[in-house]
Amino acid sequence: MAATTESVRADAAEAPLLNKRNMFLGAALYVVFYGWVRWYEGVYGWSAGLDSFAPEFETYWMNFLYIEFVLEVSTAGILWGYIWKSRDRKVMSITPREELRRHMTHWTWLVMYGIAIYYGASYFTEQDGTWHQTIVRDTDFTPSHIIEFYLSYPIYIITGGACFLYAKTRLPTYQQGLHLQYMVAVLGPFMILPNVGLNEWGHTFWFMEELFVAPLHYGFVFFGWAALGVMGVVNTEVIAIAKLLKKDLA
Amino acid sequence: MSASQSAVRSRAEAVKVSRTFDWLILFTLFFVVLGGYHIHYMLTGGDWDFWTDWKDRRLWVTVAPIVSITFPAAVQAVLWWRYRLPFGAVVCILGLLLGEWVNRYLNFWGWTYFPVNFCFPSNLMPGAIVLDVVLMLSGSMTVTAVLGGMAWGLLFYPGNWPIMAPLHIPVEYNGMMMTLADLQGYHYVRTGTPEYIRMVEKGTLRTFGKDVAPVSAFFSAFVSILIYFLWHFFGKWFGGTSFTQSS
Amino acid sequence: MKLIKDKVTKLSFVALLVTVTAAMFYAPTASAHGEKSQAAFMRMRTIHWFDLNWSKDTVPVNDTMTISGKFHVFAGWPETVDKPEVSFLNIGIPGPVFIRQGSWIGGQLVPRSVTLELGETYEFKVLLKARRPGDWHIHTMMNVQGGGPIIGPGKWVTVTGSMGSFVNPVTTLLGDTIDLETYNLSNTYFWHAFWYALGLAWLGYWARKPIFVPRYLAVDAGKADSLITAGDKKVAMGFAAGTIAIVAFGMSSTNAAYPVTTPLQAGLLRGMKTLEMPARTVNVKVEDATYRVPGRAMQMTLTITNNGDSPVRLGEFNTAGVRFLDPAVHEDETGYPDDLLAEEGLTVSDNSPIAPGTSRTVQVTASDAAWEVYRLADLIYDPDSRFAGLLFFFDEAGNRQMVTVDAPLIPSFI
Repeated sequence: MAATTESVRADAAEAPLLNKRNMFLGAALYVVFYGWVRWYEGVYGWSAGLDSFAPEFETYWMNFLYIEFVLEVSTAGILWGYIWKSRDRKVMSITPREELRRHMTHWTWLVMYGIAIYYGASYFTEQDGTWHQTIVRDTDFTPSHIIEFYLSYPIYIITGGACFLYAKTRLPTYQQGLHLQYMVAVLGPFMILPNVGLNEWGHTFWFMEELFVAPLHYGFVFFGWAALGVMGVVNTEVIAIAKLLKKDLA
Repeated sequence: MSASQSAVRSRAEAVKVSRTFDWLILFTLFFVVLGGYHIHYMLTGGDWDFWTDWKDRRLWVTVAPIVSITFPAAVQAVLWWRYRLPFGAVVCILGLLLGEWVNRYLNFWGWTYFPVNFCFPSNLMPGAIVLDVVLMLSGSMTVTAVLGGMAWGLLFYPGNWPIMAPLHIPVEYNGMMMTLADLQGYHYVRTGTPEYIRMVEKGTLRTFGKDVAPVSAFFSAFVSILIYFLWHFFGKWFGGTSFTQSS
Repeated sequence: MKLIKDKVTKLSFVALLVTVTAAMFYAPTASAHGEKSQAAFMRMRTIHWFDLNWSKDTVPVNDTMTISGKFHVFAGWPETVDKPEVSFLNIGIPGPVFIRQGSWIGGQLVPRSVTLELGETYEFKVLLKARRPGDWHIHTMMNVQGGGPIIGPGKWVTVTGSMGSFVNPVTTLLGDTIDLETYNLSNTYFWHAFWYALGLAWLGYWARKPIFVPRYLAVDAGKADSLITAGDKKVAMGFAAGTIAIVAFGMSSTNAAYPVTTPLQAGLLRGMKTLEMPARTVNVKVEDATYRVPGRAMQMTLTITNNGDSPVRLGEFNTAGVRFLDPAVHEDETGYPDDLLAEEGLTVSDNSPIAPGTSRTVQVTASDAAWEVYRLADLIYDPDSRFAGLLFFFDEAGNRQMVTVDAPLIPSFI
């Protein structure tokens, strides 16, 4: 029954087009969480993160790594599973207003993706450079790697996946197939994580020093370009939104 | 549902909604491009950008513009041709510099205590403004690549010189001459960066004496033109709206 | 679904709480860093540091200390590490907790990379000025291009005081004294803020009007040209002309303000002065060597020939910074780090003086927990199970001779 679909229920309740509260709460979640992470790095990087063979390294850093692995896998499973499971099976029959509202929600997700990408690709990636000036690299799991590779990257991967899934399951715009640039924008940065394998292999066998421009790092660069795929998403979205607003804007 | 049904209740609401999307899109575009651009730039020109004792008159001048014109060219390719918005380059540089400054201040200085006067980023804004203006006034990718790309390369060194010059004052140090920038690199110990990693001008018998920076800037401008063309087309592709169909 | 969400929230919170709580009960313990991750056979066969001296245990901020000593560049340098043709005398500290005020090899200042010769011994000194309070582990360190950092022994040094009081005065060749810690900072902030503001102004100019949807509709309708007005063009020309003018002005005023500048200084330093060691009159042949895993001890059978003119005794075996001493012959009085010093770790089956012109075959045992702690015992799992080190012989007058050993090692698991 159409009356039981999510879209009609949402419409009936006349929810606001953009749920600002959700957006600010979401943004605050990332900012506060990463603020805490930075504090943790500041304190335990120095007191427990300089020697990977020390027992305190195991306590404060390796345990951090294990906990984040578990949380990331479960968050991805639950979040993506939830978005998929609660998909709108009658997405092509929603009202224009509901479609507009969902575009807003979709953009709320994309704003989160922007924040997550910023922290992962910019903040924690360059931060890694300065930590490697400070310690002698004696493990693949340096404090900065535990945060950069295994926390901030999975978080943007989870967020990006959620954006893509939201679009695919709730917006008519994305029903005709898989949006190529959207996939690039989500899968490209995702590939940075497997590329860590190349990075660590290279650092283990060739190169202990910290030369950021070393060709060994170009895998990250290549996949970083994929972030530009967001422009394709912007264009698709603008076309879709313009279609919804065209006659009223004229 | 009826196609005639409206998504908004009034023209005023349509305008408001469109404006809301402006900010959401601009925010996301800014930060996602920032992330991609920053990781690209730090891994292709980063060391020159991190440390003053890498900011020489040959390789820094050559490399930084070449690797940094990439994203501006790509973002311009979308923002101008689809929206006639001439701020593609500036928005990229605003993003990149924000990402760099936050990091240099909070992490290079705030976490590992390298003084900011040793690890500030390069200034790329003059070239970005000119690149955007050339595109806007000419409306031509070719003219932007040639004139804008050239300006991008040529403006880099003079745009940074007011910041760098004070660090190139010489000092006599235990019987050797160094610049203050060299001394920063020597004093502020980087455990992971031994001196030989540094890629800076070491002189060559083939050098035209003092013309190192202009020659480097000119070469950099030339390559920036080529890179602009290439990345313009990358940008067009990344701005595509195509769907793949399952077979 | 709500139930699952609640559970996840609760579990995440618990995990976070556990981490935070664990963090609160942290008590720091002594530790080294870096060197233990490197393959033992590399550490034993590259740079041997000896006669090390850390001049102080506690240094107030702005005060200096030195680390001095000697290093021997091992002739049996491993194939997998590039030869030290381009090397840099670094210092293994956690970032700029000290500044390096000077470093010398053979009396020559070495702010740049140098060429070292295999088989030679060099004298070195590093002068450090304390900058950031804390307990820091200070290692000697040599970086070798194509090899990596070769970390030497480390010792804990405490820096006291406050970083806020740190100053780094430098006098330039123009006669001005500046504080390198903060020099040029406001100039850097000014120019970056200025250009950033200009960029923001440009973005703000365009973002003040609707950006995406209406402009797309106009372009789509073929009215792209209407989107850029004559006023926009004037503003744009103003921005471009202003940018170029400011860059030109900045360049010329800077050149006027700083007429004397020099390029960055770089280039390899060659011809480092080596240290003349006393002529070698003792020969050592390694007959065999085993590492006994359960006893954490290395046993060597050595045939020692004394070609000198005074009797000698074996007093020390030094490998990868770990020193095994026979206290009957030699005791450490330099305050060498405890964890690297086995004061009674060296046993010689017959350590009576070897008379000039005679040979003796002896069993030498070097045993200490350091084999495990410093992961030197992992040598037996390395792809090139070969050990190396320095032997120090002493005559009755206290004269010392250094002999290098380099031989295969057989592990013993029982």
